[in-house]
Amino acid sequence: MIYLDNGATSLHKPPSVKRAVADAMERCANPGRGGYPAAEVAARTVYSAREAAGRLFACEPEQVVFTSNCTHGLNMAIRSLVKPGASVAITGFEHNAVTRPLKALGTRTVVAGRKLFDPDDTLERFEDALCSGVDAAVFTHMSNVFGYILPVGQMAALCRQHGVPFIVDAAQSAGGLPISLKELGAAFIAMPGHKGLLGPQGTGLLLCNSELRPLLYGGTGSASILQDMPDFLPDRGEAGTLNVPGIAGLGAGIEYLLRTGVDAVFARERAEAKRCVHGLKRLGFQVFSGADQGGTVSFVADKDCELVARQLAKRGIAVRAGLHCAPLAHESAGTLETGAVRVSYGHDAAPWQTARFLQAVSAIAGGKM
Amino acid sequence: MRSYFVTFRSVTFAQRGESVLRRAGINCSLQRTPRWMEEQGCGYCLRIQQRDAAAAVELFRQRQVAFRKVYRQSDGAEVEEVLV
Repeated sequence: MIYLDNGATSLHKPPSVKRAVADAMERCANPGRGGYPAAEVAARTVYSAREAAGRLFACEPEQVVFTSNCTHGLNMAIRSLVKPGASVAITGFEHNAVTRPLKALGTRTVVAGRKLFDPDDTLERFEDALCSGVDAAVFTHMSNVFGYILPVGQMAALCRQHGVPFIVDAAQSAGGLPISLKELGAAFIAMPGHKGLLGPQGTGLLLCNSELRPLLYGGTGSASILQDMPDFLPDRGEAGTLNVPGIAGLGAGIEYLLRTGVDAVFARERAEAKRCVHGLKRLGFQVFSGADQGGTVSFVADKDCELVARQLAKRGIAVRAGLHCAPLAHESAGTLETGAVRVSYGHDAAPWQTARFLQAVSAIAGGKM
Repeated sequence: MRSYFVTFRSVTFAQRGESVLRRAGINCSLQRTPRWMEEQGCGYCLRIQQRDAAAAVELFRQRQVAFRKVYRQSDGAEVEEVLV
């Protein structure tokens, strides 16, 4: 199978990730709960992953809260930063992991910037929204549908300038683009552990730079007398037993990226995305592309997108069709009615994958070549 | 030899302290804090040799590693809180 659905999860993990998961299952008891060797090994395993994340994202280990996925982290961040009924600036490319929690809080969202691959428009509209007196901002680093890399550095600077606290959704960018909590000055950055960071499913990270409101309450292995959650990180955000095997694998994934280099991964993904765009255009598909594009490409065919994906699956190509849990992004691009077929590359992106994909999609298109 | 115990509110803080000390070449061992030393319950501490105690605490302050208290264990095994 040629796996081109890394936007959903990375399937091909480095061998070190699998070894770390197996090793943790063999050797790790509950971290931060006991003083015997198996508990100590678990605590060291978890801390090593925190330290590795701190190195990759320029923050202290205790600012790294382990979550079960990016959605979990975004819910924690949004409920910490956004008061019910508040006014929040978002972009036209947000995922339901952002829009649904905001809706649940009864917020008034100001959608700022809906033009694909147009950072000037994004920045202009975003600043307009900030000037309109929003209480907070939540924005994606990279569109999960179209691979549009938003100008988050400049958006963060605008937020700081206007005194608006903000959350970054790094679901698609973590592991593929450089991210610094220190430089961005975000209140929170949420990300999955199982996509670009190459960890197992059921893992995620929330980088905290602001007061965190717990989503779950319970045991933390610390300050046990207190009936309120600890007021310190990461314990405040980590009630209950952690997913230690998952975190061990995530730590190994991050170490792999620190060794390989996020820039090298990005260059590989981007090169294939460009090749893919070029090939799809030659085949006559409607392709969404631009200069600020990562390793994700979406296109529309003259057949139903789900049918195209199904036919590709029969030819051993894994892609994702539909609305990608991001109806707002599809609405912005005008593909809400049709949906789209998404090709998303991962750390192992290679020209042969693109060649085989284009060959298969060409056959499906039926002589459109 | 006298030992010092630096207590922390969580295993993460204690591990960060351990990491800072190891990088500075200071030996320490991480262990559960005796119940009576931690009024909020369930903490971790670093056991440090007497000769390294002042330097260790200074490093924690410089690197903003949040510790709670420092205890000294005498040759006779009595333990008392000390200000370092």
